[in-house]
Amino acid sequence: MKRNNILILFVIMSLALFVLAGCAAPPTAAPAEPTQAPVEQPTAAPAPTEPPTAEPVTIQVFYPVAVDAPIADILNGYISAFEKENPNITVEPVFSGGYGDVRTAIQTTIDGGGQPPALAVMLGTDLYDLINADYIVPLDKYIDAMDNGDAYRNDFFPAFLDNSRYDGKLWSIPFQRSAVVMYYNADLFKENGLEPPDSWDALANAAQALTVRDGDNVTRWGLEWPSGWPYWLFQPLAIGAGQNIVGDSDTEVFFDHPQVIEAVQYYIDLSHKYQAMAEGVQAVWGQAPSDLASGQTAMIVHSSGSLSGLLKQVDFELGVMAVPGKEKGTYATVPGGGNLYIFKGAPQDQQDAAWKFSEFLTQPENAADFSIHTGYIASRQSAYDTSAMKDYIAQTPQAAATRDTLQYAGKELSLQDLGEVRSIFHDYLQKAYNGEMSPAEAMAAAQKAADEALAPFK
Amino acid sequence: MRTINVSAPRKRRNPILPYFLILPTGIFVLMFTAWPTLLALYQSFFRQRMNIAKFRQPTFIGLGNYAQLLGDERFLLVMKNTLVYVLITAPISIILGFLFALLVNRTVKGIGLARLAFFQPTILPMVSAATIWMFFFTPNYGLWNNALRALGYTGPQNWTGNPHLALIAIMIVTIWKNAGYYMIFYLAGLQNLPTDVYEAAVLDGASGWQMLWQITFPLLRRTTLFVSTIAFIGAFQMVDHIFVLTGGGPSRASTVLLYYLWQVRFENQNIGRAAALTLILIIFLLLFTATNFLLSERKEESYA
Repeated sequence: MKRNNILILFVIMSLALFVLAGCAAPPTAAPAEPTQAPVEQPTAAPAPTEPPTAEPVTIQVFYPVAVDAPIADILNGYISAFEKENPNITVEPVFSGGYGDVRTAIQTTIDGGGQPPALAVMLGTDLYDLINADYIVPLDKYIDAMDNGDAYRNDFFPAFLDNSRYDGKLWSIPFQRSAVVMYYNADLFKENGLEPPDSWDALANAAQALTVRDGDNVTRWGLEWPSGWPYWLFQPLAIGAGQNIVGDSDTEVFFDHPQVIEAVQYYIDLSHKYQAMAEGVQAVWGQAPSDLASGQTAMIVHSSGSLSGLLKQVDFELGVMAVPGKEKGTYATVPGGGNLYIFKGAPQDQQDAAWKFSEFLTQPENAADFSIHTGYIASRQSAYDTSAMKDYIAQTPQAAATRDTLQYAGKELSLQDLGEVRSIFHDYLQKAYNGEMSPAEAMAAAQKAADEALAPFK
Repeated sequence: MRTINVSAPRKRRNPILPYFLILPTGIFVLMFTAWPTLLALYQSFFRQRMNIAKFRQPTFIGLGNYAQLLGDERFLLVMKNTLVYVLITAPISIILGFLFALLVNRTVKGIGLARLAFFQPTILPMVSAATIWMFFFTPNYGLWNNALRALGYTGPQNWTGNPHLALIAIMIVTIWKNAGYYMIFYLAGLQNLPTDVYEAAVLDGASGWQMLWQITFPLLRRTTLFVSTIAFIGAFQMVDHIFVLTGGGPSRASTVLLYYLWQVRFENQNIGRAAALTLILIIFLLLFTATNFLLSERKEESYA
């Protein structure tokens, strides 16, 4: 789902900006964004039966669809419940494609002098770009004004808040969140007398044992670990080796750290040394879940967001766990997914209404309901105490397993100049995976290029 | 009393009507092509990066954006990829389109199905087409690799992850998608050709090969000009499948100019550099289109 977020973007991009405009760069050249027209029509709201206590206000919510779930229908359900509770507020959901499309739509609207939506679901990692561009407002004043503000703040899984804080403030709240997990065919493990792996060695050995060859031809791989857009699925390896590629600083990366290099080497070893995984860069994000379901591979590393889809496809017992770390008994993951952001360019009354709606969406019952119907990990711990969630987990224990991976979570790569730094890392990591450079050379070059890119931000 | 002099001869009308008629188009071209181009030209002389607070306001840096690009080996790789991509996909798609058109331009039973088969890739949205190809290209069980293996191919199968194959994979999809589209233009051209020249040629004892190259191809020159123009422009613009298949990777091996432009503008929010890239793209488009027209015009003269 991380890669899918930009798929449809170019249809919109190239049509709206390129084909018509003849060039894509001038942001002011896109006043034709259809999304901003209905903003100032609060009168379009159906008249509430009782007189509203406050001025009527209409807000827009931009949201992406990044998983295989009827997000639009689910959101519409929450919106009608919310409007019933708050008759003066009308919420207009605007489906905008993938995460990239939402971001592009909002950027072009604001850069073109238009008014942004009051609320949007965007990637947690967009934090620094949105703050630097002066697009969003911090949310602390709203949380502090709550009766139980601190309890509210602390109820979110800490891993999901890693990319929400900057400059002592909280800028977004977790909404549709996921994590990197390892899915495995538990039946195959049992047949071969294998335990779920608890270390790099165990993982490599299990993957090797489960690889089946017919002459030169591989009929089943032990493991598929997509690397077409590699940083996200690589991070658990680095964390598992003992050093995440990003730390607390927003201008520092640890690409050339010996333990990160070791993690790169381990990925390569899985194919070269253990022959348990296909060689080189694997641009198989889209195929991996169906490969696992159809028996082409015994394990995959993927997003927790693929759980619902996988459960529908598999005819074996599906195991879900965090990615094993280097040392025995250690595990690792990183979170991913989208948060709720409130935009500075929206009028104050819309911002306030947007907060009300955000608070509504993150109520434990709604967070639980959203998780059950989409496969996302519920953003708040108390969502798992609701009866709906308890019933669901009783039927689908894998849903609890995705949550349990969060205790091993490190911080997802997010820092200043993310687009550039991430591209640099991708380029060199893939060079190492493809054997064009040694892991040490590649990571040294990546570190140097990233340091140069980050210099103006220090 | 007013009288109307009906008998006065109307010599020349004020020639305002034609201009009036093209006014809507003119306004659109000015608004959506000329103005953004000028704006991009202007912005390309400024450093403006939305993701750095201190660079959010534009600062004039002259040709700084262009100088940075030319000194950036990633940009040079992207330019190389773009030229390879355009110069290979456009001609091959055109030639295949022409051959397909010759193949299906006959009145055999069931020819409609053949036409449909060639044209079908054109109807598919690029993103769906790319998703289908994503499965075709899958190592081991992918249809493409199975077909190649049946033909005796033993080389690498990781089409979207291998640095030497990724751009080729992208080009295969582009050609597959476009050839059928160009076929339609050639087919229309072929069906409008006069039959008498062929009758005359047959009487003169011309071979089928001679008729093809001496009559059919020259008569379709206008079609070729049109098709090659849209093919070259289209090749610069077609990048949807890159998002689906390779994400520009591995290590930028399949990144082309427009994809890079998108990354710089929307991922890196570097407005100045994106404007410079836009200008470079426009210059390439103009160069290709102008060369195409000039070559064709010269041919025209030589025929005259």
